[in-house]
Amino acid sequence: MIPYLSLLVWLPFVGGLALMAMPDRSPKIPKMAAMAISGLTLLLSMVVVAQVKAETFHFQLIESVDWIKPLGIKYILGIDGISYWMVLLTTLLSFVAVTFGHSINDRTKMFMGFLLLLESAMLGAFLSLDLILFFTFFELTLLPMFFLVNIWGGEGRKRAAAKFLIYTFGGSIFMLIGMVALAVQHREAAGFLSFSILDIQASVASGQFWTNALQAQTWGFWAFAIALLIKTPAFPFHSWIPDTYSESPIVAPILSSVMVKLGTYGFLRFVLPLYPEATQQFAPAILALATIGILYGAVVATVQTDARKMVAYSSLSHMGFILLGIFSLTHAGMVGSGIQMFAHGISTALMLMTLGFLLLRKNTTDFAAFGGLKAKVPVMSFIFLVGMLGSVGLPGTNGFVGEFMALFGAFEAGIAQAYGINVGFAVLSGIGVIIGAVYLLGMYRKLFLGPISAENDTMADLHPRELGMAGFMAVLVLVGGLMPTLFFKPLEASTQATRMMATNPVGQRPVWTDATHEISMKAGEVGALLKDGQVIAPGRLHLLPSRPLGSVATTAGGQE
Amino acid sequence: MVNGDLIWGVLGLPLVGAILLGLLGPTLQKSIGKRGVGAISTVVVFVAFILGLLINSQLVGATQKAWVVTGPDWIAIMGLRIPFESVIDPLSMTMVLIVTGIGALIHLYSTGYMAEERDYSRFFAYLNLFIVAMLVLVLGNSLPLLFIGWEGVGLCSYLLIGFWYQDRANVKAANKAFIVNRIGDWSLMMGMFLIAVLMVQNASKFPDTRIFSFDNVIPVLGEILKGNPGMATAIALLLFGGAAGKSAQFPLYVWLPDAMAGPTPVSALIHAATMVTSGVVLLNRFNVVFQYSPTASAIVCVVGAFTALFAALIAFGQTDIKKVLAYSTVSQLGFMFIGVGAGGYWTGMFHVTTHAFFKALLFLGSGAVIHAMAHDQDMRNYGQLRKYLPITFATMAIGWISIIAIIPGLGGAGSKEEVIGYALANNHAQINGVPLGQIAGWTALGVAFLTAMYMTRMFFLTFLGNKERWRDIATSHSHETDDHHHALDNLHQPHEVPFSMSIPLVVLALLSVAGGYLMMQGNTFEHWIQTNQIEVLGELKHEVPNLLAYSLIAAWAGLAVAGATYIKGLPASEGFDLAKWSPFRKAAGNQFGFDAAVDTLFNEGGDGLAVALNEGDHLVVDGAVNGSASGAAILGSFVGRIQTGFIRLYALFMLIGGVGIVGWFIYVLNSGGIK
Repeated sequence: MIPYLSLLVWLPFVGGLALMAMPDRSPKIPKMAAMAISGLTLLLSMVVVAQVKAETFHFQLIESVDWIKPLGIKYILGIDGISYWMVLLTTLLSFVAVTFGHSINDRTKMFMGFLLLLESAMLGAFLSLDLILFFTFFELTLLPMFFLVNIWGGEGRKRAAAKFLIYTFGGSIFMLIGMVALAVQHREAAGFLSFSILDIQASVASGQFWTNALQAQTWGFWAFAIALLIKTPAFPFHSWIPDTYSESPIVAPILSSVMVKLGTYGFLRFVLPLYPEATQQFAPAILALATIGILYGAVVATVQTDARKMVAYSSLSHMGFILLGIFSLTHAGMVGSGIQMFAHGISTALMLMTLGFLLLRKNTTDFAAFGGLKAKVPVMSFIFLVGMLGSVGLPGTNGFVGEFMALFGAFEAGIAQAYGINVGFAVLSGIGVIIGAVYLLGMYRKLFLGPISAENDTMADLHPRELGMAGFMAVLVLVGGLMPTLFFKPLEASTQATRMMATNPVGQRPVWTDATHEISMKAGEVGALLKDGQVIAPGRLHLLPSRPLGSVATTAGGQE
Repeated sequence: MVNGDLIWGVLGLPLVGAILLGLLGPTLQKSIGKRGVGAISTVVVFVAFILGLLINSQLVGATQKAWVVTGPDWIAIMGLRIPFESVIDPLSMTMVLIVTGIGALIHLYSTGYMAEERDYSRFFAYLNLFIVAMLVLVLGNSLPLLFIGWEGVGLCSYLLIGFWYQDRANVKAANKAFIVNRIGDWSLMMGMFLIAVLMVQNASKFPDTRIFSFDNVIPVLGEILKGNPGMATAIALLLFGGAAGKSAQFPLYVWLPDAMAGPTPVSALIHAATMVTSGVVLLNRFNVVFQYSPTASAIVCVVGAFTALFAALIAFGQTDIKKVLAYSTVSQLGFMFIGVGAGGYWTGMFHVTTHAFFKALLFLGSGAVIHAMAHDQDMRNYGQLRKYLPITFATMAIGWISIIAIIPGLGGAGSKEEVIGYALANNHAQINGVPLGQIAGWTALGVAFLTAMYMTRMFFLTFLGNKERWRDIATSHSHETDDHHHALDNLHQPHEVPFSMSIPLVVLALLSVAGGYLMMQGNTFEHWIQTNQIEVLGELKHEVPNLLAYSLIAAWAGLAVAGATYIKGLPASEGFDLAKWSPFRKAAGNQFGFDAAVDTLFNEGGDGLAVALNEGDHLVVDGAVNGSASGAAILGSFVGRIQTGFIRLYALFMLIGGVGIVGWFIYVLNSGGIK
């Protein structure tokens, strides 16, 4: 059997190191080589996902070997519906970033090498099923990003890079402690030390794991949550992102828009399955942070004078919707978030790419330097408009579907008052959509509309290569909006299983390692969890309120 | 039988036009010329209209009055399915005919009006896209699909208001329109969610997981809301919030007057005939909710009546011909909501229809005037234009008669009377016994008087009077150059519009005169629209004794008062010297300060909050880490000098920091330290 996932992870790694070790020649060679490597990785990732079966929640293409045997650390890679889209997003945007990096002529081979190392680390993180392996890749993403900002960034690059490193590294220390605690707890519960989430989840689902250790679950939940909230970023852990976005070289924020998904991905992959009771208990707290982030990010975005900073704050706002959907713990909300993780990556990257085009032409993204560009660069203006509308969440673009379903999930949970979730979260978060239009339309106006200044009068429109990259992404924005069902198919079984792992009672949770467990999408008990062909826990797809309808009206009327 | 599949043709043709012109527009413009581009754009809409007529004629003959045509799935997950599906019923088909019919006429008109435009193909691409979005809005068989159209028309409106994007004011107006609409959209979205949650809870009452689709929602919602007026009110108000945004009701009307920054055909099509009536269509679709909620109905009536009155008063202070028409649109939309609130749902749609005819006509007529007057929109510079623009004068006269309703049964007279009749004769719209619907009805009668006054003012100032007032403007220098967009001055000779523009005027004039009258015969329109309604309220009365007399008195009195004032021309108290204006007119000219107050509150207040938060973000949230960050910056600059060595340093850091912790844990663990 071919170890597809290992090939996928290590191909850009080896390629990146090889590039860096190359003797210095003309910058052309590393550019072409990097394009070839990341292009190959993109193709390989398509081969990989083509083999993933949509109807199961179990990990596929698993590779498992012992790594550090005495400590129970394994090298396990596996893919499921949730990592499916993240892998594609990573390889696609890495390819785009490498292609875009053509404009870098300073120490090109190092630059390209770091891009490829970053790609490798992110792929590794999305595919790891061992906590320490995940942690290694998670940390490994920091290094290339640090150097990309620190060496090729703007004027404030040193400070921005340091801030980025300290923030994310500081957060991940907590996660590491949480991981060790999990392994130790696993030894308590099952008799041997293991960092494999497959082992740990099996024990959690059976109920042995957290018996007599509920307090520890709380601590563990927050240890993970803080690291992941910093990565996402969520309020109030977000202040690294504006500097990183605005001081980075043009391509780095594009990859940042993938990297931040590690935060929300971490919640889905580790926190929900491994800390079910804490997840339910603290869902309102996370929703509160998400709601504040949505509104706060949106409001602060409105007064930014630099386009990239505005995108940074808009990310804070939009990532809030993803958190909102995940922690609504509803099927619609979680599927919506899963899809939004991909969609937001695409539309943000498209906007950042257009800003990169401007940066190449004018060496700044300050609004003061622009205005009225549409007259000179209509194609660029149109491409940006598509990305902007995707970000606004206009129905028919990919940004709408995820946000709509995440909001609906949060609303549903709020009306049902499930897990103590208040409907106010959804209602307030919805206001973020209004403010989103304020700053995003404002950004389009400040860059492309109004009178044009004399110095911009000679600006060149997109070259064919630029149009090729950006046009493809623009098409993805529309396809994702009009045919989202294509994107749901591989995702659903996995998010539904994750949801049941977090919300079903002990003994009725799906287990990754139990092949008899499956998510049924067929008739009868839709979404039920089957064991030996028998329904053991009918999965309720929608939450029902525990009180009569009449009292719901008062909530909706705001008299709660 | 109804051949529903034709509906994909209706939707697809303008879509093809939009894509074709959007992608290949500039190329086409070069190869086949502007006429060719305009022709493609107009023909696709016209053929869509013919197809619409065909479906409509089948629907008239069919016994089943509501059909659902299903396409592929849009959103489909477990427990929730939203297919692309169209609803074909009298309500949607009426709108389809208005949108494509009037749409085709306005496309034709635009080929002439925009003839000098450089970005010709872009304009028509947007216009075609608007038609698609509007059709999705009226045909979509679920609220999310309707929402695609709902925000889609908002997008087209945004793009078209800001069509001349080099002018900052236009762009601002465009942004304002989109954002104010989004406030309504938020309300609509919450209403949509609430309905869906109710549907989920009653999943046993319908066969599949299409929890948003109208054919499931409307009947089930009727059952659920029976005996639950609180929930009915909540849903109704959320839906009305959405309608108020799109249909420019107080206080969300503020975007519509500014939207006049767009080219005049856009104002006629989007901001008068079609898009702004979406709210009325939405409330008609969900009339069952309003039937169960007298409270919400009363609020709809009150908001409608207040908006009608407020906008009519503002119109008195306007000097821009398009602004007068804009406020008149806001005011007439208020009438429609009064009808809907009072329980006369079909009267709202009736007024939508007649208003679409005469308001599109008035806007296109004003466009002809503006076109003839070197793009000057100030009525104080017009006067006696009947001499130069005979066709425009005659057709505008019909539009004017239609809106002020001085002849029984003609133009908007019939629909307006039905609206007022329902409001006065019933007591559905009431809160705690206060007959707010009836109060709204009487208000509407008063507004009818005001309407006759301000519309007469507009008509007389433009076409009649004692002199050609632009002759007072000093000669401008630009006149000698052959620039088309020269300023209006005393040497200007107005010219009548070309055929492409006068044909739509004449057709709309005929429709304005006869349309309303014909649809009244044998209560055709009432029976047509009401077929899809669940009769909770039963047959409502709408005969009010002497109502016709009241209406006629109001209309003729308004005409007489205003006519006497303006027959002599522009009074000195309304000239260019604002100091001579009466306080009332001055206040009206400023929207009684409302827009400015909203602007201050949201722009400056909002900005203030945002700036404060932004600074806080840098000081507080940031400050917490800044200490360590600056320390790290020093470290960073230090390692910057030994760049290559840093990887090793970091690796060491990782080793000590990360792996060290693991090692420590393992050590403690093996010595049995932690439990």
